[in-house]
Amino acid sequence: MARSPVPHTTTAAVAASPLRGRRRRPLSVSGVGRGAVPYLLVLPVVLAIVAILGYPLYRLATLSFQRYGLPELIQRHGEWIGLDNYRSVLSDSVFWDTLVRTIVFTAVNVGLTMVLGTLIALLLVRLAAPVRILLLTGLVLVWSMPAVVAVQVWYWMTNFQNGVVNHILTVLRLGDFDQHDWYSTTFWKLAMVTLLIVWGALPFVTVTMYAGLSQVPRELVEAARIDGASPWRVFRDITFPTVKPIVYILTSLSIIWDFGVFTQPYLLIGASHVDSSNYLMGVYVFIEGYAHSDFGRGAAISILMLVMVAAMSVLYVRRMVRMGEVT
Amino acid sequence: MIRARIIGAAVLVGVALAAVASTASGGTTADSITVWLQVDAQAENWAPIVQAANAQFEKAHPGVTVDVQYQTWGDHLKKFDATLAGGNAPDVIEMGNTEMTKYMAAGAFQDLTSLKGSFANSSTWLAGLAAAGVYNKKTLGVPYYAGSRVVTYRTDLFKKAKIKVPTTLAQFTADARKLATGSKGFSPVYLAGTDWYAAMSFVYEYGGSIASQVGKRWKGDLASPGSIAGLTAYKTFFNAASRASKTTDETHPNPYDVYAQGKAASIVGPAWFSCCVGKKYTKSTAQFVMPGRKAGQPLPGFLGGSLLAVPIGADKTLGADWIKAYTSNQSMTALRSIGNIPNTTSLLGNSVNERAAKRSWFVPTAKNWVNVENGNILRNMLAQILTGKLTVKQAAQSASDNIARVLNADL
Repeated sequence: MARSPVPHTTTAAVAASPLRGRRRRPLSVSGVGRGAVPYLLVLPVVLAIVAILGYPLYRLATLSFQRYGLPELIQRHGEWIGLDNYRSVLSDSVFWDTLVRTIVFTAVNVGLTMVLGTLIALLLVRLAAPVRILLLTGLVLVWSMPAVVAVQVWYWMTNFQNGVVNHILTVLRLGDFDQHDWYSTTFWKLAMVTLLIVWGALPFVTVTMYAGLSQVPRELVEAARIDGASPWRVFRDITFPTVKPIVYILTSLSIIWDFGVFTQPYLLIGASHVDSSNYLMGVYVFIEGYAHSDFGRGAAISILMLVMVAAMSVLYVRRMVRMGEVT
Repeated sequence: MIRARIIGAAVLVGVALAAVASTASGGTTADSITVWLQVDAQAENWAPIVQAANAQFEKAHPGVTVDVQYQTWGDHLKKFDATLAGGNAPDVIEMGNTEMTKYMAAGAFQDLTSLKGSFANSSTWLAGLAAAGVYNKKTLGVPYYAGSRVVTYRTDLFKKAKIKVPTTLAQFTADARKLATGSKGFSPVYLAGTDWYAAMSFVYEYGGSIASQVGKRWKGDLASPGSIAGLTAYKTFFNAASRASKTTDETHPNPYDVYAQGKAASIVGPAWFSCCVGKKYTKSTAQFVMPGRKAGQPLPGFLGGSLLAVPIGADKTLGADWIKAYTSNQSMTALRSIGNIPNTTSLLGNSVNERAAKRSWFVPTAKNWVNVENGNILRNMLAQILTGKLTVKQAAQSASDNIARVLNADL
């Protein structure tokens, strides 16, 4: 990701730099002292990460091996029960249904976000400056809107009784949408959540892709065009390979966000309508942990989610690293 | 420009500080107590009663101020859990009667048994409500108020359609058809599709129930013939009377808002709904008891109610003293005057609310009941039934199995 603003011609130099550093180190006078300096320099960051991330993770892990319900919460003392929480979660059909639903949901959301984001970014490159600024401003405004506010506005717009969406669709004679219920089935509930999430995620993906696209060497594109390459061919063989690292990082970040998303589904579907037929993982862990006051079981689900997301991330990070070595 | 930025930054800091301040609730410093009440008590006609109790308490305890924080039913328990874990629970908390069992079983409240005699009217407390605050023969919650559910209606529209107050459910259903004006969003009887309090009243009227206890275990009863008949009757009534969303709940939107907008001839809900029917309709609004199958017998209504409890870790004396002030005879009389059922039989009269309370049902008194509510099992079932996604029988069977599973978890 850090490489995205660096012109592609310097890739070789970047890749070579660690080697140079390694060669220099033995030449230094006080080898040991100097060798410790980098570690000392990262020490504060490591300490901060351990404090902020490590300790809660440790607590979460220990919690997942305990019976920890409301009585234990009040006494602030759990009972060690080994793998019971994991056993109970993994044998629960609601967990597996929710997992499959969440994977499909994540795939659709990430796919839509990436495709639409790339298309808008490609459009941005071609637009005249004033229109581009207008579009970018619009995107940044979307970006700056807090999720909770966005949910509330969407909820009003799609309201059954007085929603402006129903009104406009009816006025435009696109059908009779008077008192249309946008949240009538699980599919529609999750479709509305998808719309909201994709809408909210587009600015980040678009702006980052746009930055990446500006790194595509123009002379290559021109040369390809002169040789008679179609726009699709130019995109496939020149544009996409250049922005590939950005696509990877954006995809993996989007997967991490969408897999554990909570705010949008919980608030848009509503606390009185989230149930086992429309849970996503983020909502499921909240209901099991907090609403049912079974904090141990909630912790076990969290750990399972963490492992899954970490596994996906490792895959992407490895591919990215390998790609960096090849080019 | 720079000034604007400074102001912006100042506002941000202010907001951040306010956020910090609002999360830091509870705590038992001797110079203040924290009381959690539901937002209902913020209503115009209700707030003065709280203020009067505060004034009385503060007079008796000079130097101690009362910090009343208003909560919503939807998330007050999650907040309460967090304060229990953090050791800064409020000194007094209002609990719904259906929420008490789980928290009493977990040991979340202080024992008020020895103080019981010092609360006003404690010998004549409403039996059903008081029972919701007793666990293992210990009094852990003080009855606060109850409310039954009645029909609030537009007298002008009923007169125009030449309808008298209905005495049977069949009559009311027929009347609803007469009241339909043809305008699409207009409900003769506005009822949210997943209003399970209303739907379960039909279930109990037809001899069904939600769940029953067999030995130590719970059995789901929604698929029994009586329950199925009740659910079917609910579907018929809803289709005849309500143009509300089949998937929404009774707070989105608030039925009285629909009524105040002129989009309903009547609404079903707590008696205090009369508070908020809108200036335009205040004079043409009255209430009647929701009729049942037989004339003269109301539809069994959900007897909702609240209790006041002192969480562990709080200042028991101060907490109990505030409850005494707020449940005094004077306070209860005032609560009754705004449409609530007071906590004592000694003050009961013949209001529409009190007449409706004569036939009532209550949720299964299981430790895990609140998980059934949080899991929205009943609402999901009603949405499935009304939208036709499943038949009454299929939806009821699945909900019944689900409820049994939740109630029997870790028994």
